[in-house]
Amino acid sequence: MAKQQEESNSNPAAAAAGDWENFRDDDIMLQHSAIRAEQADKIPFLGDKEPLSALAAEYQSGSSILLEKIKILDEKYSAIRRTRGDGNCFFRSFMFSYLEHILETQDKAEVDRVKANVEECRKTLQSLGYADFTFEDFFGLFLEQLENVIQGTDASISHDELVERSRDQSISDYVVMFFRFITSGEIRKRAEFFEPFILGLNNATVDQFCKSSVEPMGEESDHVHIIALSDALGVPVRVVYLDRSSCDTGGVSVNHHDFVPSALSSGGSGLEINPYITLLYRPGHYDILYPK
Amino acid sequence: MLAPRRSSCCRRGAAVRMSTPARKRLMRDFKRLQQDPPAGISGAPQDNNIMLWNAVIFGPDDTPWDGGTFKLTLQFTEDYPNKPPTVRFVSRMFHPNNGSICLDILQNQWSPIYDVAAILTSIQSLLCDPNPNSPANSEAARMFSENKREYNRRVREIVEQSWTAD
Repeated sequence: MAKQQEESNSNPAAAAAGDWENFRDDDIMLQHSAIRAEQADKIPFLGDKEPLSALAAEYQSGSSILLEKIKILDEKYSAIRRTRGDGNCFFRSFMFSYLEHILETQDKAEVDRVKANVEECRKTLQSLGYADFTFEDFFGLFLEQLENVIQGTDASISHDELVERSRDQSISDYVVMFFRFITSGEIRKRAEFFEPFILGLNNATVDQFCKSSVEPMGEESDHVHIIALSDALGVPVRVVYLDRSSCDTGGVSVNHHDFVPSALSSGGSGLEINPYITLLYRPGHYDILYPK
Repeated sequence: MLAPRRSSCCRRGAAVRMSTPARKRLMRDFKRLQQDPPAGISGAPQDNNIMLWNAVIFGPDDTPWDGGTFKLTLQFTEDYPNKPPTVRFVSRMFHPNNGSICLDILQNQWSPIYDVAAILTSIQSLLCDPNPNSPANSEAARMFSENKREYNRRVREIVEQSWTAD
């Protein structure tokens, strides 16, 4: 152990001297984990609910476009809840938003519906050749959270406990990983559909993409991940974009995109979808938004 | 290739004192490895410690590594399977990516979908298909790229040493 320490300590010095040959993967890993640790000090996996003015405060001395957009957001949204920027922010936001929605609505029909989808996803993974024991703990832990937010049993949890669990690595990371399994399974199952998106995104095959950008923890999510997860679980997601872009007409508006599961959109009901997960996207990061 | 299985890998009684998620998962990894062992690899937890495994990788047929039996250790933490184990060769090695093994799935591309069988299979294929761009052993990496004949000779040496070393 001491030797290992010595090895890794000696190498940054070599790198500083311009000897990149000796800058090993180990050192890069060490640096990555140092950056992660620094992030962890700043914000827990999941923050407290904050008013939108807290968001505006971030940009006080910054872009006026962003401040104007936040003003527009203020008309529709009451609060924001931040998540840690550790590459899992989309999945973690999705987890908390979804479970919080179930906890608040006690929508048992929705629980049954999503459970049926989870069972479909389990079959998908099995048919793709994944060994049950590599994913069953992750499935089990998510289903347990889903049952626990339903009130009236010995195992029921309060809203505070849900927040606590979402900040507890041993639960939170397992649920994030559960979503990664679901996402990867859906992408692989519908490889033909996803292939062109993936090619455009990073010129990889579907298998390479899943192995390098979906299945490992800490790999950031993109449109492809959101479409796949939303479709697989049948849960619509609204993403509100906060960036510096403005309309051609000169006016400022805030764009959003609704990810509507294919099962719902092809139903042709014509009803407007009212997503109960709303995320705020700023380039590279997702937080949770609360509609008024 | 039908690999001979070492009797020490079939020992029973790896004690599970506390049933944490990591330990439970490792028991299932072990069961899978026993029931459905991939060709040319074997592994088992040490007698009284499920967190520390011994493993053997047999050099793949029709490669310079053919006939070698390479011993490794895998050290797991309670973060498994969210974090990969630390894998080290016990046998002497001559390989661009040996030492602390430079395998993407043991580092930044790790995912809990990999079990012990998958880890060992990946290391086995890394033997024949090294990644000289990420060298842990720069001498071996240079030789692999510039002097394949000498590289193969050094590999044969290591293979022969693997029969006697213990």
